[in-house]
Amino acid sequence: MTNKYYEFFCPVKVVAGKAALEHIPFELNGLGAQRPMIITDKGVRAAGLLEPVITACEESELEIVSIYDDVPPDSSIAVVRDIAGIYRAEKCDSIIAVGGGSAIDTAKAVNILVSEGGDDIAAYSGAGIIKHPLKPFFVVPTTAGTGSEVTAVAVISDTEKSVKLPFTSSFLLPNAAIIDPRMTLTLPPHITAATAMDALTHATEAFTCIGKNPLSDAYATSAVKKISENLLSVMDNPKDADGRLELAQASTMAGIAFSNSMVGLVHALGHATGAICHLPHGLCMSLYLPYVLEYNLESIREPLGDLLLYLDGPEAYAATPANRRAEAAIAAIRRMRDALYKKCKLPRTLKETGQVEESQLEAIAALALDDGAIMFNPREARLEDAKAILKKAWA
Amino acid sequence: MLARRMQPMALHARRLYVQLMFQVMGNALQAISEVDAEAQQEASALPVGFLFEMMVMPNGPNLIVEHLGDGRFRYHGSSAPRKVNLSIKFKHIAHAFLVLSFQEKTSVAFANDRMIVDGEISYAIRMTRVLNRLEAFILPRLVAQRAVKEYPSNLHLPEKILSASRIYLKVASQFVETARA
Repeated sequence: MTNKYYEFFCPVKVVAGKAALEHIPFELNGLGAQRPMIITDKGVRAAGLLEPVITACEESELEIVSIYDDVPPDSSIAVVRDIAGIYRAEKCDSIIAVGGGSAIDTAKAVNILVSEGGDDIAAYSGAGIIKHPLKPFFVVPTTAGTGSEVTAVAVISDTEKSVKLPFTSSFLLPNAAIIDPRMTLTLPPHITAATAMDALTHATEAFTCIGKNPLSDAYATSAVKKISENLLSVMDNPKDADGRLELAQASTMAGIAFSNSMVGLVHALGHATGAICHLPHGLCMSLYLPYVLEYNLESIREPLGDLLLYLDGPEAYAATPANRRAEAAIAAIRRMRDALYKKCKLPRTLKETGQVEESQLEAIAALALDDGAIMFNPREARLEDAKAILKKAWA
Repeated sequence: MLARRMQPMALHARRLYVQLMFQVMGNALQAISEVDAEAQQEASALPVGFLFEMMVMPNGPNLIVEHLGDGRFRYHGSSAPRKVNLSIKFKHIAHAFLVLSFQEKTSVAFANDRMIVDGEISYAIRMTRVLNRLEAFILPRLVAQRAVKEYPSNLHLPEKILSASRIYLKVASQFVETARA
């Protein structure tokens, strides 16, 4: 018997497809909640994405008691405290997060405070601190990339101490993720591209890093297939609701995959680049993915070769000799990046971003080595390895 | 029948082995921080007075190591002088045994959720690198390859033998001192 072992956990009810938003009142009612608060950001409101949510609730006589629409891109403990105060003052009993990663993470943190009590969210930072189920919590993602609707983590900035506080608990998982194609129809092309590449990276790393397991593999491969089959067509036809739904589902599936098998060096480098150069996370993922796969190649040849089937289809897979499939998978990802560059100028190299100096690469490499994701990378990346990858990704 | 009688003895032996390995590792961590520049460089990023613990949940064997500054460690045995800053906790003695008997790599044990990190994750990553370095030095290559994700390609036999001898000598003398005390 081998030492193989894994854990897999995803209790989130996924409500996906046409008129999914209209299920919110029924689902909330089923949890005994009648006074929901919406947590979102100004961009979501300005894009008109709140109206269908509010209308869906009002038609079922469910009043949205409060709407907080001022979540910043990098949410802080002060914002969380303020929102918790409003929640209590308005006597809300549940939370609906509508937005991307920041709004969802903020809502998770608010749910900790309003459920556990107190005003100091920092007291709950860390793993396994929360011991009880929290208030009813729904997530309506408006991007198709982060997978935050199915992850048990949140990150909030402590701006006074200049640190990011991580929160990890299965109780942070929402009761339901509402995947409605209306929520992503108006995403601008470059955000559609970057967030889809984020999801592709989640799935690819989940499938190739050391925490992979049979259940997360199933989600990861399905996510890769949906992205490779739909991303470029959605870029050409942004109002394609079916394609949008496929991408949104892929993001959720990739989220389920990576939250149960973790990610690797692409994320370690991406987190470091985001921290130092303030590049969007999805863009960082797209930048580093092929270079890290090349670095890991000999350790991941078999699973990466298997991914060719989902990246390029059965004909290409069958036509490629088994010992060349891993390289062909990387080539397929490169072709996808090239196509995205043509369609929306999504950068393929650090130089193309225009936001990174070559002199910053050393600091990015050093910071990446301290990132938790590096533990799950199949190869033991050292400083020199990280610098070599960054050099390749530079231009 | 015999197997049922032997089982408590086997479990007891497993616990003793884990306890002994924690003592060896604690002493060896102190030793490697005195002889290896790379381990010192990794450890020097830790705050001075930083207390690191490895333990088996809920109250099983443990080891406590303090960073004295400049990448040097001091092994405190099993009792911490104050609240620890970082604790790597095995969920069960069986999981600790898998890692400490080199049947499962430390990184794989993390990926398999055999243990949890209580504290700053970046420090846990650093301490894992120091532990990997230590294992690469003190274990025969074939065993070390089972313990670490990737055996260091730049670690050659003369350096390994020299460093391992110095580490073992220091660990042995620390054990003798402890026994005398």
